[in-house]
Amino acid sequence: MNVVFGGAYQGKLDYAKEQFHTREVFVCSDDLAELDFSKDTIYRLEDFVLACVKEGKEAADYLRDHRRQLQGKTVICTDISQGIVPMEAEMRALREMTGRAMLYLTKEAESVTRVFCGLGQKIK
Amino acid sequence: MNIFISGGCKNGKSFFAQQKAREQAELLGRPLYYLATMIPVDEEDQSRISRHVEERAGWGFRTVEQGRNILGALERTDPGGVFLLDSVTALLSNEMFDEKGNVDLTAPERLKNDLAEFAERTGNTIFVSDFIYGDAMGYEALTERYRAGLALCDRTLAKVCQQVIEVSYGSLNYFKRQDEQ
Repeated sequence: MNVVFGGAYQGKLDYAKEQFHTREVFVCSDDLAELDFSKDTIYRLEDFVLACVKEGKEAADYLRDHRRQLQGKTVICTDISQGIVPMEAEMRALREMTGRAMLYLTKEAESVTRVFCGLGQKIK
Repeated sequence: MNIFISGGCKNGKSFFAQQKAREQAELLGRPLYYLATMIPVDEEDQSRISRHVEERAGWGFRTVEQGRNILGALERTDPGGVFLLDSVTALLSNEMFDEKGNVDLTAPERLKNDLAEFAERTGNTIFVSDFIYGDAMGYEALTERYRAGLALCDRTLAKVCQQVIEVSYGSLNYFKRQDEQ
């Protein structure tokens, strides 16, 4: 698995397409707490996590339960860990749950890349 | 050499950029310009500008006021000089929002092209921007357009510049580093 993360609008998907030869992209949605493993790339993981928050399920547990299906995939997530602590409880939960999910994924991943202004920096 | 510098707010980017610019001007024996991009609207801005002017005193910068139309600065300067453009953030804000409350949504595309041209025509510009992309929640639509627009300018500059550096409190992270010229 390859994990790509970075701030909003940094060109993460374009970077992943170029580096990992993406063919099909599953775009997560904040009203679906499931991933489609038939695609090779999972994009906007934070929206999947938000769906999990709404359903009261732990995203990291779901990812751990599906670790076999995650093999060979590229997972892209926006780094939402910075900035001000959100006022809204749901957004605070999203920020924390995304952190836990990413800690699990980056531990499992063969490569982890941070994208900054379109440029990648391999950190694992 | 063109250099792009970004990072969080108030973490030493400007000071580092000033050092880079002065080093380059001394090395090349060229004039050193500071492109002042802020258009003051209140006392807070005015005092921030005074503080920056004080900080730059004695560095040898010639200050060029250019809050909009950045290529216009080249008519009043030697394009062979070394330029410090601080900041891309302020330029986009001035180009996108005017004093009367008008919004120009075409500004990011135009500024992106102007900045790339500025880099190409001068060859020795240090661009400073702000990394404003790490929040958990989205903002209202117009702010999101601004963030996306600034990211477009940032990505364009990161592509054309020879060095790309993230500054966080004096610690430097090089995303691109070509040999010093």
